[in-house]
Amino acid sequence: MKKTLFLAAAASALPVMGTAQDLVMRTRVGLADAPNTLTFRLTAYDLYSSDPATKAAFEALFTDFITARPDWKIETQLQTGNIGQEQARLLQQTQAGRGPDCAMIDSSQLALFKDNGVLKPMNDVFSDAEVADLFPFVRDAVTDADGNVLAWWWFTDLRVLYRDTSVVPDAPQTWEDLKSAALSAVEQGREGILFNGGRWEGTAFDWLANVWAQDATLVDDNGAPVFASGENREKVLTAIAYYQDLVDSGAAPARVTSITDYDSFNAAAAAGSAAMFIGGNWQYGQLRNTLPPKTFANWAVSEIPGPTADQRATGTGGWTIAALTDDPAKASLCGEIAKEIYAGPGNAAQGLLPTSAAIYDQYDTYDGPEYDLFSAALQNGVARPGAAIYPELSNQIQIMLGDVLSGTATPEAALDTADAAVQAAFDRQ
Amino acid sequence: MTIINRTTDRGPAPGDGHPLPWLVPAIAILAAFYAVPVLDVLRLAFSDASLLAPASRYSTDAIGGVLADPALPVVLGTTLVFTLANVAALQLAGLCIALVIARGERRGLRGMAAFRTLVLAAWVVPGIANGLVWQMLFDEAPYGTLNSLLGYVGLGPVAWLSDPQMAMASAVIANLWQGTAFSMIVFYAARRAIDPTLYEVAELDAATPWQMFRYITLPLMRRLIAVNTVLVTVQTLNTFDSILALTGGGPGRATEVLALFTFNTVFYNLDLAGGSVLAVLLFAIGMGCALLVHYVIGRERPAA
Repeated sequence: MKKTLFLAAAASALPVMGTAQDLVMRTRVGLADAPNTLTFRLTAYDLYSSDPATKAAFEALFTDFITARPDWKIETQLQTGNIGQEQARLLQQTQAGRGPDCAMIDSSQLALFKDNGVLKPMNDVFSDAEVADLFPFVRDAVTDADGNVLAWWWFTDLRVLYRDTSVVPDAPQTWEDLKSAALSAVEQGREGILFNGGRWEGTAFDWLANVWAQDATLVDDNGAPVFASGENREKVLTAIAYYQDLVDSGAAPARVTSITDYDSFNAAAAAGSAAMFIGGNWQYGQLRNTLPPKTFANWAVSEIPGPTADQRATGTGGWTIAALTDDPAKASLCGEIAKEIYAGPGNAAQGLLPTSAAIYDQYDTYDGPEYDLFSAALQNGVARPGAAIYPELSNQIQIMLGDVLSGTATPEAALDTADAAVQAAFDRQ
Repeated sequence: MTIINRTTDRGPAPGDGHPLPWLVPAIAILAAFYAVPVLDVLRLAFSDASLLAPASRYSTDAIGGVLADPALPVVLGTTLVFTLANVAALQLAGLCIALVIARGERRGLRGMAAFRTLVLAAWVVPGIANGLVWQMLFDEAPYGTLNSLLGYVGLGPVAWLSDPQMAMASAVIANLWQGTAFSMIVFYAARRAIDPTLYEVAELDAATPWQMFRYITLPLMRRLIAVNTVLVTVQTLNTFDSILALTGGGPGRATEVLALFTFNTVFYNLDLAGGSVLAVLLFAIGMGCALLVHYVIGRERPAA
């Protein structure tokens, strides 16, 4: 009898299971004949992730979401990893009326979309309390002057100092501490401190923490570049001199000007060749999965040192989800995707840093001590300036640091060149 | 005397006085896929278009802005060095490999086909992948591949990518590794087309290998060398993907060639008009090279 009941139950469940699997296709979530359609442009790191566990987790989340909304289907469009190009294309298409209804927008580009007026409010999805619980830099970025929620920043990241405690037992608090610890590590046969110094966005962004720690600003309220004028100039020069001194003193190897990805730091940690590096929070999990447990136990994270112990900053990134449609129902659905799939369960599924304090307490994923550090460091988080000139500003900072660290130009000359180029680009914009 | 009736059962031939209808498909395809994009780039060069907004007015501001950019001479200088070094090295390496293969085949050496395939394998590697592969090889970390090998023989370490001059040399090496196959194919075909009787006669005259190369091979391959120079120059001028992956154009601007500068202008600066000006400049340089070689070949062409 029990066997018969079990078979009957299994047989009746088969169509349901089949339907659930069919609900998530390569370009669609939901039934093909659902009357309402939302187009959603997303990255390839979650629903269509190459990691089977991540993919399965998001398939389950999307299946639950669309099962509760049988009248809807979501047509998915994948973005490539070329963020700058993809986001520029997305903005162009949206302005021309050919964009998707809902899209993932890189946090660094969010202001550009806001300034161009293409983001539509999702106010009815998010309560005032939920908005208030966002980290301050996130809240400022996703809302406008009228308090409209124009996007939902569903995860963030930050840069921290990693150190091998067998070589550097105490976390350096200041730039001077860092240099001393690095030189001491060099005497022990290690590379002292590694950081991004090659020609890519990571170089500019990681270095900017040293600028922001001095309360310098890169652009004014109108988005005009001011990083090389007034007080900002001295602070920027101080931050350049700090990096230059690390290389010239041998605390950092000259090869930093060729480092153009964070994976190089993982490799150096695995090889036991580096004592410290400035890396992203996500690398903690990577190191845990890569290094032997005994070796991993030696690695610790701390806030990026500042010019003084109480002057700290860290660059924060991450992705947002925003509605680009004039249809209020679609805009709401877009907000619900952000809220029900990505912020919270999506964060926990991937171990990504949530943007509101409440979620850290809600999921076991965030019980590790490293998350206490990340959460605390986020209080000093600074997002990229929300200005159209930022990509070129970053480009010029990369060139400036490369020229100074390779001995091709003095800090003053390199800064003047960068300033002239950025001002010219701004004038053309 | 035979009178040839040009009208056959199949109707008039293409050259019977109405060639235009026969040319229309080719002209249409060329216009759609080549001329229209080029003309559109030219239009954008005279506009104020950006990636954020379409063109709203037309002027020479973008051209003036790009030409006044202090970075342009630096980038052009880098492009010149990169192109000259590559064109010379690609021609030399391609010619050497082609002659080695041709000589090997003539002597019946085994493995020549495998050797040819091996060289060609590099050619099919995408530029980005090529840059990433060489980035790993040039890695300056203590465990970097090439520096570790050099260390075994007591040499190095070499600052492959962090030193501005070496970074340029490294970019040339990476491009050379990938591009040699193309020159090799061209030269191999040219060498195979030379009548073997010439070499047999030369051997009877006791000519040395150098003399045969100098007075038979080189003169008979001269026109293809000129054509290959144009093709390789244009290819090298357009190279940016492998450099993007290898150095990103750094350190500083040490390896930022014109094609990469154009890419950066559009996608960092969002300056579509400025990028179009640079694209036109790149096009003009490539076209100039082609015309120059065409002129040289034209002068050498024997009278009919």
